Amino acid sequence: MSVADNLQRLTGPYEQRSWLQRIPAAWWAVAVILLFMPVVANDFWLFQVMGWTFILGMIGLSLMFLAGYGGMVSLLQMTVAGVAGYMVAILGPSGANVSLGLAWWVVIPAAFLIAAIFATISGALAVRTDGIYTIMITLAIAAAFFYFTRQNYSIFNGYSGFNLVLPPKLFGVNWRDPMAFYYLSLACATLCYGAVVYISRSPFGLALQGVRDNPRRMAALGFNVTAHRVAAYALASIFASTGGILLVWQNAQIAPGTIGISAAIDVLVVAVVGGLRRPLGPFIGALIYVLLQVFSADILGLFGFSADRFKLIIGIGFLAIVLFSPDGVLALWDRWRARVDARKAAETRGAP
Amino acid sequence: MDKFIARYPIWSLIIVVVVAVFLWLVFAPWPPELVASWGRKQIFLNGLLGGITLGALYFLVAAGFTLIFGLMRVVNLAHGSLFLIGGYVGYEVAIASDSWLLAFPVVFVVVALIGVLMQHFIFSKMEGEELRQTLVSIGLSIVFADLMLWWWGGQSYTILAPQFLQGPVQLPIVNTVNEATGVTTWLRYPAVRVWILAAAIVIGVAMWLVLNRTALGMLIRAGVDDREMLAASGVRIKLLFLAVFAFGAGLAGVAGIVGATFQSLSPGEDTRFLLSSLVVVIVGGMGSIAGAALGALIIGVAEQMGFVYAPTYSIVFTFLIMAAVLAFRPQGLLGARR
Amino acid sequence: MNAPVAPARMNQIGAGQAGSGNALELRGITKMFGALAAISDVTLSVRPGERRAVLGSNGAGKTTLFNCITGDFLPTAGLIRFFGEDVTVFPPHERIRRGLRRTYQISSLFAGLSVIDNVYLACVGVSRNRFSLIRPRPDDALMHAANMLVDAVHLTAEKNRLVGELAYGQQRQLEIALALSGAPRFVLFDEPAAGLSPTERTDLIHILTALPNHIGYIIIEHDMDVALRVVESVTMMHNGRIFKEGRPEDIEDDPEVQELYLGGGHG
Repeated sequence: MSVADNLQRLTGPYEQRSWLQRIPAAWWAVAVILLFMPVVANDFWLFQVMGWTFILGMIGLSLMFLAGYGGMVSLLQMTVAGVAGYMVAILGPSGANVSLGLAWWVVIPAAFLIAAIFATISGALAVRTDGIYTIMITLAIAAAFFYFTRQNYSIFNGYSGFNLVLPPKLFGVNWRDPMAFYYLSLACATLCYGAVVYISRSPFGLALQGVRDNPRRMAALGFNVTAHRVAAYALASIFASTGGILLVWQNAQIAPGTIGISAAIDVLVVAVVGGLRRPLGPFIGALIYVLLQVFSADILGLFGFSADRFKLIIGIGFLAIVLFSPDGVLALWDRWRARVDARKAAETRGAP
Repeated sequence: MDKFIARYPIWSLIIVVVVAVFLWLVFAPWPPELVASWGRKQIFLNGLLGGITLGALYFLVAAGFTLIFGLMRVVNLAHGSLFLIGGYVGYEVAIASDSWLLAFPVVFVVVALIGVLMQHFIFSKMEGEELRQTLVSIGLSIVFADLMLWWWGGQSYTILAPQFLQGPVQLPIVNTVNEATGVTTWLRYPAVRVWILAAAIVIGVAMWLVLNRTALGMLIRAGVDDREMLAASGVRIKLLFLAVFAFGAGLAGVAGIVGATFQSLSPGEDTRFLLSSLVVVIVGGMGSIAGAALGALIIGVAEQMGFVYAPTYSIVFTFLIMAAVLAFRPQGLLGARR
Repeated sequence: MNAPVAPARMNQIGAGQAGSGNALELRGITKMFGALAAISDVTLSVRPGERRAVLGSNGAGKTTLFNCITGDFLPTAGLIRFFGEDVTVFPPHERIRRGLRRTYQISSLFAGLSVIDNVYLACVGVSRNRFSLIRPRPDDALMHAANMLVDAVHLTAEKNRLVGELAYGQQRQLEIALALSGAPRFVLFDEPAAGLSPTERTDLIHILTALPNHIGYIIIEHDMDVALRVVESVTMMHNGRIFKEGRPEDIEDDPEVQELYLGGGHG
């Protein structure tokens, strides 16, 4: 058997069709719905519901990347997003007079860079220990940053934070206009999602999954396990930062409350409810979370509760998922599909 | 001790000097130059004592957290909720019965029972699945927090200390010496805080004694070191786990009364005390009672001193301590290397 | 596909150069676990390209010795040189990158990945592409190397199967492929024949003897038939110490060894 034959074998199941052809029909349908949603949906849906879903999904995606592929459940991702968002507010123009008012082409790269540095340093601290410690350490770091922004007025403008943080009017478009913001966040979310899917099969992504499953063996293959984990934190910061910057633009403000402990927990809830094992999970989780949040008054009203009990619904829902379907609603979907397939198979076998 | 001095002569010297300077700062009257640069001695002493009593409170909360983790490997992120529940229930009992002391046994039993329910119906069903247990505890903390907000609302509650604990006591520490008259004033400090500190020390020592001097303690320590062996030895491990969970939870509840007495209770305090517990055990070492005591002392003092001398950066001190420990001794100051 | 691999093909695996002096040199290696010495004062040197067996009963400290050499444990005392370089305190990955390899007694593969992905990962680990975010292209050099290795351990037909689905013997063969990735200069085989059928053992002997000459190895093996056929020297360990060294035929005939080891029901 020649080498050429081997290559054929290897690449056979992967590359016979072009990547466009390999996308299943359901995905095309989703793409069409998302692209043409502005035709039917009103501004509230585009801006509040979908925009927020994409943002939350991206921050959740950065957690999914670390947890699903790297085995590191980090509660730091909201904080990383917050660092990027704060940098946009601090370096760029805002309503607070501690802002520097630099140009957007300085501000945005700087925001990504500083958030990445923050994530790298925090990650380096968090990976000093293994397993369940990660969740505790990242929670403690997230809390420390939250309290710091609340105490510090010279940089972070303390309790009140920053308001009037607006996106630059690039190409003459007002990016806070609901339709423009919808497409902007959709594009960012799609890019981040695509990047995670692509990277999962790259040498780095494969190695990260190897580190998750058997770190000792990975070291015996020549991988620096610690460096790989820290690098994953740095890479995940890109997705979180994208979400964080969009979040500031959407709210036009950022304050310590944006990155508080409950926000950090919300990101975990979103990613777990959707499913930590697949990049799609956080987006599904985010959609469920946002819909519940937006319609909590109506939903709770059905059961005779006041709208204040939104957190109770979230908490109980989260508990139910963790107790009964730890891999999230995507796993529920898989199970349902498997059952339907099994029934179909039984019917076709029974028919002749 | 001798071994330590022989092995690390320079470190020993530094430690001796630091301790000497510290004792001098506490007990000697301050010369005017020091007062000029650092403020009055009273401020320093208040910061220090406030830190130590805060540390005592942190210890009460963190001790249960670290014990539960050490034995069962459950990272119970609903531990802060148990603290807050304890405080609220303590408030209700104290109001209803007009007895501060009665609140303690009632709260201990009630919160311990909640802990038993959590362990029996939830955590024991997913033993070994650390992440899932932690996620469940997060879910529980969300639910508890909202239920408490529903019932007790957003206002803050304070439990009044009983008559015999109100007012200050005089401590044998010099506050100032009047140059002209030579009259020495002694430091006066709220009695209730002194008593809580004493109680925390008693509880800490009692826990240490139980862990190190009794058969039950030996079982628990054996379980911390090697759980498989404990399971194989035929001990009724389920009962042991329930007992430890109940004790840890009850302690957190009792700490809630203490917290409500010298600070106050409001929504969000659960997270605050959960976080302080996390930091305390990260610094002190997971699963170690002595580590929890040391960590609580360090964090309590750092927080209060930071608050007194650098209010805008006080949280940074706490964080830097944690980061330094993680960087140089990731298992914690008194934690066992795994 | 079970025919022995042509030496020419095997020689393409690993172009590491044999340095001067010893490939591996241990001086006074001691490893304590608490008060218990798992190995004590082990001094040993292996020439480049030399093949050696380490024999001894269970608990003689053989696997601990491997763990010290690869850096999974830091020795309590002693010095380790790898091709002249002092690697005593190096982390495992630094030693691997210098051409040291090992297999594990209990298969520790990535069960959720395919055979080719496992080997590819091993090739990536000792390449400069460790942090690459670019997916391998069809003409990727590392993928090419991985394919050669899969062929070399006779797993071509199983290439795209998940490792968890492989038979036990096939997993052991894959272990060896992982250990031969990149440019190995010295390999530690930890009981590669354990649990293999007689046919698979013959296959293993073929694979080991077909290795390029410059790759030396140490093999821990209970099966004397395998061990003594693929090595040129033997070290006997007992209770954590080196007990005897010599050529295979001398060791086999040594009465003391027979008493201790061969007579001990292990043969």
